[in-house]
Amino acid sequence: MEVATMRNELKVFRARHSLTQEQLADKIGVSRQTVNAIESNKYLPSLGLAFKIARLFKVNIEDIFSYEGEENEN
Amino acid sequence: MIVMNRKKYKQLRAIVALFVSALVGLAVVRDSYLLASVGVLTGMVFMALVRSKAKIRTDERELTIQEKAARMTYAIFAPTIGIAAFLMLLPSKGGISVFSKGEWLYIESLGMVFSYLTLFLIAIYAISYHFFNRKYGGGDNEK
Repeated sequence: MEVATMRNELKVFRARHSLTQEQLADKIGVSRQTVNAIESNKYLPSLGLAFKIARLFKVNIEDIFSYEGEENEN
Repeated sequence: MIVMNRKKYKQLRAIVALFVSALVGLAVVRDSYLLASVGVLTGMVFMALVRSKAKIRTDERELTIQEKAARMTYAIFAPTIGIAAFLMLLPSKGGISVFSKGEWLYIESLGMVFSYLTLFLIAIYAISYHFFNRKYGGGDNEK
């Protein structure tokens, strides 16, 4: 499944910046449940939201989100 | 422009719904159509004003959930109502009543309504699919 092949370090980055899920959610304009769902790999954010998160932490998207599937997987 | 999140918007909508239902309840007790109409209209105008003046921040995960729920609703409802319509129209063709013990005229009428509802549902789906397909770059106009 698509969700299973994606990993993210959002929780780590959030902890590094001493942000709660609620605070992060407010900064990127989503609900706390969405942040929680992303952290627990239950929900894949849109490209726009992923960019927003990366920009907030001043890193590249690949630093936070990584794809762990096969090279030729559809 | 006031920025309002979905939660606050839902709370406000619940308060307005309570207010409107209280007014309609009162109108029923007093047997006053005017009060009911005024109550419902006030609620509608107020919510329209809120939607136009406030920017309601929608969560993308919530949108995804709504999309999936809508898809599942369509996938369940369309065949159910279609099959129900077909079954209701069956007795009139075969001359035997399966469901209604002789009162199949009503069942047949209901079957007709269900058939048109099914067609309407499928038509709306096809039109909206076509619209969104064009909006999101579908089609054969290769450049």
